[in-house]
Amino acid sequence: MKPYKLVLIGASAGGPRTLKEIFTDTPRLNGSIIIVQHMPQFVNTAFCESLNSVTDLQVKIAENSESLRSGTVYLAPSSMHMSLINNMAIRLYSGEKVNFVCPSIDVTMKSVTRDEGTSTMGVILTGMGKDGAEGIRHLKNIKAVTVAQNEDTSIVYGMPHEAVLTGCIDYQLSPDQIRNKIISFLGILRERI
Amino acid sequence: MEKGEKNVMVVDDDASIINVVKKLLEPRGISVVGVTTGNECLAELENGFRGVVLMDVVMPNMDGWDTIKEIVDRGYKDRVIISMLTGKGEPDKKMDNLKEYVLDYIKKPFSSKNLVTVVEEYLGYLT
Repeated sequence: MKPYKLVLIGASAGGPRTLKEIFTDTPRLNGSIIIVQHMPQFVNTAFCESLNSVTDLQVKIAENSESLRSGTVYLAPSSMHMSLINNMAIRLYSGEKVNFVCPSIDVTMKSVTRDEGTSTMGVILTGMGKDGAEGIRHLKNIKAVTVAQNEDTSIVYGMPHEAVLTGCIDYQLSPDQIRNKIISFLGILRERI
Repeated sequence: MEKGEKNVMVVDDDASIINVVKKLLEPRGISVVGVTTGNECLAELENGFRGVVLMDVVMPNMDGWDTIKEIVDRGYKDRVIISMLTGKGEPDKKMDNLKEYVLDYIKKPFSSKNLVTVVEEYLGYLT
């Protein structure tokens, strides 16, 4: 049986336009994508709709306890940490800020467990600070594929740089290359959702 | 200000930057107000400004980060989308607690196309 595939993406300042670049014309894919974007709460819905308008994937704001579905992108809502339960379902909860933010990319990435039934990729995009670096270290430890946006294309290189400094990044790529990497990792979804 | 209006505020002590942004955005039907201090920015917000704020970092008296902190503390954060617009290459430690309120970061010198794309995307979030 083929493993279920997950892609986790963390982004901060400059993330909305970088994510839009990555998802523009991206087809339905065979796995789930989880995005933690630091943003004000009142733009959650508009950002979700903006991403939804450019891709065949279904983009939605994550809800507590929902099971992951293939071909779907889950956005972490502001002011809640998001973790995964057994790599299969979403848990949202209030909590102290981690790395000065809630939701924290580290929290989501560190909730992924090593599991022969799951294959995971972690991606750190443009942003200030160091959120995501420890998450990437964890993902590498559980044999995930790890990607950081490269310096030339990062609007703010802080977070990708911190991820690279862990020594746990496999690829440093542009948004175009990240899109291609995600498509080749997940594969195109051809059956009905 | 009404929902659906396209409003941008440029907060920059360099008036030439304000003029450049006005020339780029006003022909596109976007209303641009320029202010040269953090206090003037807060006064515009107190008067009901709702829109995209392009915030310089290095300004006298109250810098961009201090101004954003005031925006948050005074409860204006839910009607503005903030992007930094600055010659300062990388953010500093003062932004640690403000990350979630800064959606973008445009470095000077900026390309016209880039600025317009960013502003129009974020104005779309407010309609």
